Amino acid sequence: MSSLEAVVAALRRSDARSSVPRFFVHAAVGAGIWVGAVLLITRLVPFERRLQLAFLGVPVMLAVAATAWLASRPGPGVLMSVADQSLGLKERLSTAWERRASSGLMDDLQRLDALQHAKLARLARAFPVRINRREVGVLAIIAVAALLLAVLPNPMDQLLAQRRADAASQAAAANALHAVQDKIAANATTVPPDPKVQKILGATEKQIRQAPDPRSALQAISPAEQQLLQLSDPQTPARTSTAQNLAGSLSSTKAGKAAGQALTASPAKGAQALRQLASQLQTLSPQERAQLAQALATAAQHAQDPAMAASLSRASSALAAGDYAAAAAALSDMASQLDSLQAQQNTDAQVAAAINSLEAARQGLAAQADRDAAAASGSAAGAGGNANAGGSPGASPGNGSNSGNGNGSGNGASGSGGSSGHGNSGSGSGSGTGSKPSEKLFVPGRPVPGQFENDPTPLGPGQDVPLTPYTQVVQAYGKAALDATDQSLIPGSERDLVREYFSTLGAS
Amino acid sequence: MIAEEHRVDPKKVTELASSLETELGRLIVGQKELLRDTVIALIGGGHILLEGVPGLGKTMLVRSLGQALDLTFSRIQFTPDLMPADIVGTNIIREDSGRREFEYQPGPIFASLVLADEVNRATPKTQSALLEAMQERTVTVGNETRALPVPFFVLATQNPIELEGTYPLPEAQLDRFFFKAIVPFPSETELLEIARRTTGATTPELHAIGDAESIIAAQRVAREVPIAEHVLRYAGRLIIATHPNRTELDSVRKYVRYGASPRGLQTLVLAGKVRALLEGRYNVAFEDLAAVARPALRHRVFLQFEAEADGVTTDQIIDEVLERTTKESASP
Repeated sequence: MSSLEAVVAALRRSDARSSVPRFFVHAAVGAGIWVGAVLLITRLVPFERRLQLAFLGVPVMLAVAATAWLASRPGPGVLMSVADQSLGLKERLSTAWERRASSGLMDDLQRLDALQHAKLARLARAFPVRINRREVGVLAIIAVAALLLAVLPNPMDQLLAQRRADAASQAAAANALHAVQDKIAANATTVPPDPKVQKILGATEKQIRQAPDPRSALQAISPAEQQLLQLSDPQTPARTSTAQNLAGSLSSTKAGKAAGQALTASPAKGAQALRQLASQLQTLSPQERAQLAQALATAAQHAQDPAMAASLSRASSALAAGDYAAAAAALSDMASQLDSLQAQQNTDAQVAAAINSLEAARQGLAAQADRDAAAASGSAAGAGGNANAGGSPGASPGNGSNSGNGNGSGNGASGSGGSSGHGNSGSGSGSGTGSKPSEKLFVPGRPVPGQFENDPTPLGPGQDVPLTPYTQVVQAYGKAALDATDQSLIPGSERDLVREYFSTLGAS
Repeated sequence: MIAEEHRVDPKKVTELASSLETELGRLIVGQKELLRDTVIALIGGGHILLEGVPGLGKTMLVRSLGQALDLTFSRIQFTPDLMPADIVGTNIIREDSGRREFEYQPGPIFASLVLADEVNRATPKTQSALLEAMQERTVTVGNETRALPVPFFVLATQNPIELEGTYPLPEAQLDRFFFKAIVPFPSETELLEIARRTTGATTPELHAIGDAESIIAAQRVAREVPIAEHVLRYAGRLIIATHPNRTELDSVRKYVRYGASPRGLQTLVLAGKVRALLEGRYNVAFEDLAAVARPALRHRVFLQFEAEADGVTTDQIIDEVLERTTKESASP
């Protein structure tokens, strides 16, 4: 070694070789604890990006260890002292370093002596690589634990998948509504969009997107449907029928044939043709006017809309009386009503499209909400079954662990003839007491799958019919009820009530 | 010559000490540690108290040292009736040409090497005269103060088993000794070798391998040996650890009455420097301090009665202090 600085440099390299593995093990232990903690916590709390969060610990801990290593690097004096001890240099180096600025024969000799001994010593061995075996053992244990936590199924996965499915279903529903809005807006050149419909759709889309779950999102659909339905005019079918009758009547006359055909095409065209016909009344022959008056009178007689009937009647009477001006005014009035009809039909078409899209959204959201409820009741039933199995094995066979997968007997749907509630118009009301958490509820049923036929099925108190825990059949009952509501003309809001009822049963 | 003008070659000090040990070893069988302690005390400029039963070669050691160093040598046998004037000298009336006048007659203390044999047999007054001369390196008789020769090295001996009719040295006076060396009983092999060497027709003759100048130069060089700050701190911690009210060592708290004085620290450091030179090193190491701790501190640490009752010796206490303090100082 040519100088004490060179000795310090060599010792610093030796120290780095020694301490870097040690700090690396520290970092590995820290990272292992981080990963294990994250994997453990995410088994209790659902977290979407748990692996990313877990492995974020590796660079973080490496950075922390590197910072700690840099901060804890010993100074030259300490390096020399440690080298003195580990290499048996008997404080030569530390003394020489401390007195490096001193001059004198003794100091010169001492430095020379220190450098000579440093040259002979293997400075690289001044800081041997020593890794704490206990720490390595802890690292191995943590690594195994983290690996197990990473490999073993995470109970939160199902919940996360459900959340993702919820979000997807809500997004699909909202997108469907948005697509309808776009479609209505795209047809603006032919049919002017109704701002009210757009507003309702937009608000509903927003509510669906912001809803915490599909069930909440479903609650936004029924009010939207009600609002849309309020935009429809109940007289529209009658007015449409009147217009069709008028078209038929006019088509049978020579003068009104063109107007009849135009009216058949659309109320707007019919209105335009009627106005044209009104302007041509004076040019018609008496025979044509008589035919026309007759056709208008016929149409007035069959008209289901009173206002249109009145206009047609007035036009017929005036035409028959030769009052062309009054007849023309009455026809113009009729044309205006046809224009109004056209506008209402346009709105109705948009309302229908909107309701269709809302219905499609409802289907998707309801299906997802049913899946959520089934999963919730499945896990609840599983937990209950386990509890029963442990608590009273004699009374309950404890087979509830599989009851969440929809394997219920389903005898409630077909009915045994003894149940009430037949008839479309029937309405029912019920009363009862909610079951206590520890109370077992039973419904008539057959042995559940997996149960031997010879096994005694638990009986209800004071009854001679075999009973099945309701948690095993509530899903089947709910499915049957929803199937029934889908097949009948039951409004969506009522279906929501049914769905909510069974979901509540399943959750309880 | 080891000193040339102001340039002193430390290597020659090492050679001198080594030669001295070798030369003394020709006559003294075994007792390596005693020889080393004696040389250290000599070069450290201090005095040494030798404790051992009679017949172990204490007097032989001092005489041999005088021969090997070509120094003036005197021996004082301490007895209860020994007077201070018997040591430091006295004014006597001298008649010259009919005139009577006082003339100072130097005592045996005026020698470079003084053997104070069985120093604990003299009265405290006489002991004080010696110990004052050791400390001040001067002697005052009447109104005149006279300097003692340089170098001045006292080797006092005391017998630890014959305590009847003795006057144990007070603690304050013990502190004036640089070292207290224990002269151990020789081993069987050494005993036989002693018999061979001393019962033959001839006894080895020692040659002078140094003189007063070389000793003085060596003493100067020894003080120049550097000591690192952390090594000095270690020495300080050793001293503090011997104090019962400032240590965590249970044995010290229980058995020690008084710990080592600051003079003990001075001795420890200076002796460490000399030992480093003797080892051919130019700096003080922990091991130097540890090696000289026993002779430097054993007469400066005073034990309680409980220690004597439990058979605990000062050396055991010092060993515990060393072990504990070395452990604490191991990590920088």
